[in-house]
Amino acid sequence: MKRFVFVLSLLLVVGINLMQAQGVQVTGNVTSAEDGSALPGVSVVVQGTTIGAVTDFEGNYSITVPDASATLMFSFVGMNTQTVALAGQSVVDVVLETSTLALDEVVVTALGMTRSEKSLGYSVQSVESEELSKANTSDIVNAISGRTAGVNITSSSGMPGASVFMTIRGAASITGNNQPLFVVDGMPIHSQRGDADNTARTGGSTVGREGSSSRSIDLNPEDIASITVLKGGAATALYGLRAANGALIITTKQGAAGKQKMKVDFHTSVGWEKVSQLPPRQDQFVQGFDGKWIGGNAYSFGPNVDTMSYDGDTDYKWDKYGRLVGQSDPSATGEQARMYDAYDFFQTGMTVNNRLGVTAGNDIASYYFSVADLEQTGVVPNSKFGRTNVRLNSSAKLTKWAKIGTNMSYSNSRAHTIQAGSNTSGVMLGLLRSTPSFDNSAGYEFPDGTQRNYRNGGGYDNPYWTANKNGVDEQYNRFIGNVILNFNFTDWFSASYNVGLDTYTKDTKDIDAIGSRNLPQGGMEEGLMISRIFNSDLLLNFHKTFGDFDASLTVGHNMYSTGYKRLYGDAIGLEIPEYYQLNNSSDNTTGVYRWGYRTMAVFGDLQLSFKDMLFLDGTLRNDWATTMPENNLSALYPSASLGFVFTEVGALKGNSILSFGKIRGSWANTANIAEPYNTVPAYVAAGAGDGWTNGVTFPYVGTTGFEVAGTLGGAELNHENMRSFEIGADLRFINNRISLDVSYFNNLNTDLLLSVPVAESSGYNAIYINAGEMESKGFELSLNATILQGDFGWEIFANWSTIDNTVLSLAEGVESIFLGGFTVPQTRAVAGRSYGSIYGEDWYRDPDTNRILINDDPSDANRDGYPMTNTGPMVPLGDTNPDWTANITNTFSYKGVRLSFMFDIKKGGVMYNGTAFAMNYFGTHGRTVNREVYYTPEGTIDFAKTPEENLVVFDGVYGHVADDGSVVSSGIENVTPVVLDQDWYQGQGSNFGGGPSAASIEPSDWVRLRELTLGYTFPVQRKIFQSAELYFTGRNLWLSTPYTGVDPESNLEGGVNGQGMDYFNMPGTKSYTVGLKLTF
Amino acid sequence: MKKINFKNHWMRKATALLMVVVLLSSCEQKWIDPEINIDPDSPGDVPISLLLPAIEQAIGFTLLGNDAVRPTNIWMQLMDGVDRQSFTQARYQITPADMDNYWGSMYTDALINAKIMMDKAVEQETPQNEGVAKVLLACSLGIGTDLFGDIPWSDALKGGEGVIQPEFDSQQEVYNTIFDLLSEAINDLGQDDALGILQDVIFDGDADAWIAAAYALTARAHLQLSEVNGDFAAALSAVDNAISSVDGDMLVPFDAANPNPLQQFMQYRTDIRMCQTLLDELEATSDPRIPFYFAEDGNGGYSGSEPTSQNGDASYPGPFLASQTSPTVIISYAEVKFIEAEAAFRSGATGRALTAYQEGVAASLEQVTGAVDADWMADNIDGEGSLTLEKIIMQKRHALVGQLQPFSDWRRTGIPALTLVPGATKTEIPRRLPYGQGELIYNPDNVPAVASVIDPVWWDQ
Repeated sequence: MKRFVFVLSLLLVVGINLMQAQGVQVTGNVTSAEDGSALPGVSVVVQGTTIGAVTDFEGNYSITVPDASATLMFSFVGMNTQTVALAGQSVVDVVLETSTLALDEVVVTALGMTRSEKSLGYSVQSVESEELSKANTSDIVNAISGRTAGVNITSSSGMPGASVFMTIRGAASITGNNQPLFVVDGMPIHSQRGDADNTARTGGSTVGREGSSSRSIDLNPEDIASITVLKGGAATALYGLRAANGALIITTKQGAAGKQKMKVDFHTSVGWEKVSQLPPRQDQFVQGFDGKWIGGNAYSFGPNVDTMSYDGDTDYKWDKYGRLVGQSDPSATGEQARMYDAYDFFQTGMTVNNRLGVTAGNDIASYYFSVADLEQTGVVPNSKFGRTNVRLNSSAKLTKWAKIGTNMSYSNSRAHTIQAGSNTSGVMLGLLRSTPSFDNSAGYEFPDGTQRNYRNGGGYDNPYWTANKNGVDEQYNRFIGNVILNFNFTDWFSASYNVGLDTYTKDTKDIDAIGSRNLPQGGMEEGLMISRIFNSDLLLNFHKTFGDFDASLTVGHNMYSTGYKRLYGDAIGLEIPEYYQLNNSSDNTTGVYRWGYRTMAVFGDLQLSFKDMLFLDGTLRNDWATTMPENNLSALYPSASLGFVFTEVGALKGNSILSFGKIRGSWANTANIAEPYNTVPAYVAAGAGDGWTNGVTFPYVGTTGFEVAGTLGGAELNHENMRSFEIGADLRFINNRISLDVSYFNNLNTDLLLSVPVAESSGYNAIYINAGEMESKGFELSLNATILQGDFGWEIFANWSTIDNTVLSLAEGVESIFLGGFTVPQTRAVAGRSYGSIYGEDWYRDPDTNRILINDDPSDANRDGYPMTNTGPMVPLGDTNPDWTANITNTFSYKGVRLSFMFDIKKGGVMYNGTAFAMNYFGTHGRTVNREVYYTPEGTIDFAKTPEENLVVFDGVYGHVADDGSVVSSGIENVTPVVLDQDWYQGQGSNFGGGPSAASIEPSDWVRLRELTLGYTFPVQRKIFQSAELYFTGRNLWLSTPYTGVDPESNLEGGVNGQGMDYFNMPGTKSYTVGLKLTF
Repeated sequence: MKKINFKNHWMRKATALLMVVVLLSSCEQKWIDPEINIDPDSPGDVPISLLLPAIEQAIGFTLLGNDAVRPTNIWMQLMDGVDRQSFTQARYQITPADMDNYWGSMYTDALINAKIMMDKAVEQETPQNEGVAKVLLACSLGIGTDLFGDIPWSDALKGGEGVIQPEFDSQQEVYNTIFDLLSEAINDLGQDDALGILQDVIFDGDADAWIAAAYALTARAHLQLSEVNGDFAAALSAVDNAISSVDGDMLVPFDAANPNPLQQFMQYRTDIRMCQTLLDELEATSDPRIPFYFAEDGNGGYSGSEPTSQNGDASYPGPFLASQTSPTVIISYAEVKFIEAEAAFRSGATGRALTAYQEGVAASLEQVTGAVDADWMADNIDGEGSLTLEKIIMQKRHALVGQLQPFSDWRRTGIPALTLVPGATKTEIPRRLPYGQGELIYNPDNVPAVASVIDPVWWDQ
């Protein structure tokens, strides 16, 4: 390190002494080739630098270039980018040609460097503001869905503010973070749901509580000018260890310099949301057991509703019509028994979104100011999300050679979330298990404060109780801001310094009313968290042209620190109902958690180009991090990429069929660091639990207690290593009307740092070590085609990608690591298998043919003609990852009308439908309707009376399990008809009855109409408007999937590595939005 | 113009130099301070007195709590599982996943911290704490081996030394360890100790009580081996020094803030009811313990669920078993008396056996109901002329409802003769618990192959 710094400083000192020349002012005018009109908003950039300007309303620009021989790059959406070598000129007027496609876009790459897309040796994809704005999702990550290749985005549910899970080119880490780095205007920010974002009451588990939002939701989509998705190691190498999972480079809107009048954009929209897909429920059999009605019973295995009436007893408090009795019962009133649709619980959600943006500027300064407000109510009563954003981005010239810019944003995100998931108070648990003969909506609370639910007060909460009395209020107040100084010292030397802060406080209140099933004595928690990121980047840029060669070098330095502190107070056992203060209980616990680390880096990036044809880029970065052992704090890693535009070569030049062609290749070696606090062993506050209850904690009977930490930290840790390799081609045909981009990537992650679970007889749950290798490889394909131009336009944009993400090895003696789920089943990382495989129990199978065994032994405890659960060690049941994903967007335009629709396709992948598996047991699932069976006096099925549709022959071969546990198969095809009756559904036909998870693994493929937008731009307006547009956007309007539960774009634990679990997950939604955009 | 340029030129140089200075100075190593990586919320070391209550809590809540108590009490037809996983277990299905948490907690909460406490006590020369740690190790190992058979010990708890796949000790070896630990503990606890036993939630630092408990556990261990090499004389001699009154019961306390595990289970899961088999046994003599073991049902009476009948209307576990403040029992005076009765009876000392039997029942009544119902004793126990092993074990069973010992006693003696439940998925009642899932996955080469939970452990012959 010391030597490196010395050389660097020597270089710099020499550099300063050589400085002589200063900036040159270049001015000019940009017009359109089509009609000669002035083009406002054209980006003018000095190639290879971050120096730039934008044309004003008259199409004029003014820019200070470091060097009279610099090259200016003019780019504008929908126009061909033009580069002009100054060659001493100080006035450059440019005429831009309309492009069939945005051919040579300028993209923002790592560390905010603008680069011509043409010059890149790696693949990037951009999403522009227009698309983000109209997608009308509250979280920008959802708006990216379906617009890129190789990016996988899963929303955890359709609840307002639900978290999202995003990976780029598969997972790089086994148990650590796999989500990309978000960088806003050069400032890395919090974007995910962190562990600390759960309330303390969740303990370590996320299967049973509300999910917090991902923190990307704090951004106002309207503020964003563009998002560049950096996918590979070479693209992100300059970000070092935090961008191992790719990066989203977000650029917010800036003011336009120059003499222009103020521009005001107003965008308002109203949206409605409905539940998309729900599990089918039976509506034929009433509450009860063994064909008898039993009030308050857990199950819906009672009599057929057609045979039932009420007794009319008005004293029966659970049902205003009285108890259910047979229609011939003497007490029957003759009133036909009713069934209720539990799904009436869901309401239409509504989103109101108002955004105002102001852009202005003059020769000295410019600014962009915006204010926005979002108010959303969800499909579950009382679920809410709201957000208010204010942003001020400003920029001013300090001197002719120095500029200062600030980007400041404040956001307030607030949510009221209702309990979800595997929890006796989860909304979906109570709703889906409720018997159809009980009306949940007829009141959830008796005058004495006790609960009215279908279990006569026991079991699960009435969903209306949960939605009305319980929930979590959370509020995030967040400030993200940075200051950027730019200095153009000479024509070949410039520098920039970017220092910023991302800080938020999170304020939560988590309530369980007295009488709630998961905490009958009532309880609450108040929590406060303060989180911050500090980042500083110093960049020195050198640029020189030598004949046909162009060279630029950037050296830089980065300092980064992150951390949080969380305080909470928890009260259990409330005295006064409906009074939620910590002093309302004698049982208070308080606590504090702190977490943090720092990193530092020095890096360099050398870009060489030859004749605008061959581009070579090399980087080197050295990182230091506090989370690594003292003797191994630093890591050095390189990257290189090469782009070759072969259509610049003589013979191929100017070909109108293949109008542009580039091949590219890159290689990078990056590193990642350990999670904090894994280098020294430690003790933690003690507690005991059993997975069924809240357990016990300390203080306990007047004592405090500690125990040795379950994870054993080690001092011998090395950096994680990721070697990434990518090749690709960018081909454009027929005057660029069709463009095709192909990439192949291969990432190899070695020395993965993780908590390796170990046999607990070792005294520890896990040991934190370098263990494991994972590979991610795949193809990405993007197609962009302009089929029709002119009055009637038709464009197609499509992406296809396939990712093979395989765990190559884990630690010595470790074959499998838990990622999420339950004791059975669970999502695991297993050596030799895809990352994220579901493991669980299976049926007994014929060892030779692998067909399911159907019991043929009348003497054993298993029913004949039915399969049998093998409760041995869990086996792989499927891969949660898709085989491939694709999306295709068609955009039609005719004059002012624009219609665009996007289909999103996911092929392959499975999901655990634990919801249906549990509903079987309760007799509420739609498939349990074919349950009736009649027996002969001999006790065999009476085939004459039993409806034929109720008979099932299991697919399998006869066999049984011998007393010694061995499997005996006859190999003979099963032909025994059986009935899926109550015994089946309460036995091996459900999870509670001991059925294997394998019986509930379902494919989760889908084709969906992800987005449909119909817009109309009004013809030339009167003086007050510059433009006006009215549009309609629908999301998820149509879904086709073999999955029988809720929308399979869902996950029990939200945005975490353990995907593929559905256990009473909240449903997804479809939405309809109408919006109006006005520019004054 | 030139002047300005000159000035600019000078300023540019200065600014450029400043940038370099910033670059160099910020490289100072202070920013990367390794101290930052020490978790501010997790101490690097703790005194013995902070480990002790954690170990006691882990034994009381987890080892004597739901995951082992529920299945074994269901199988013994003291309780019944009427719903969900408990119903599955009632039909004798129990999986490694069901025991994963229990197995892990035994090693990572109870045993390793007790071992650390023992090592620290040796280092700090505090013999009484050393003795307490040994008693807790012995009682945890006893619970573990009785439920699972062979378990790791000699090779266990050495993850810090790189042993992550420990070998298993045979049950016989584990029992030798238990006897050694208890006799060492009795010696250690008898020594003077300036520090004393601090933050002790079981005996509040009373070394004599710990000694009596160590003797009681020794007596239990001898009797547990009755079918292999049981030493009744040694058991009787241990009884002489063991817990001598209900006040000396070895209990782990719970309170409203940290309630009893079964109480919490009934609150959150509600899947257990008391069993009709037990109710029939107790009602035969109108046993005064019924209202303490059975909660009032919806009709204001006491009812049981016939095994696997899923009778959700039957009584919940009663206030003695499942109040917030019900302690869990490591070993009680009543059990000591029944150990004495059995050991004496089986070694031919019928007089001593009868007295101990009667004292055992009385101790149980006192422990469970708070008083000894003299009339009931006179009618049902005191007039006992001819004592049988069955009577001893049946009364012991009635005294230890909600504990693990009835499962061991049934396995040793076959008393009571239980019948297979309707809907049983196995041909016999289970005689052990399966090893935890994690151990099977992460220590596959060492976990003994056990075909089924109906296979007996070593001492169950």
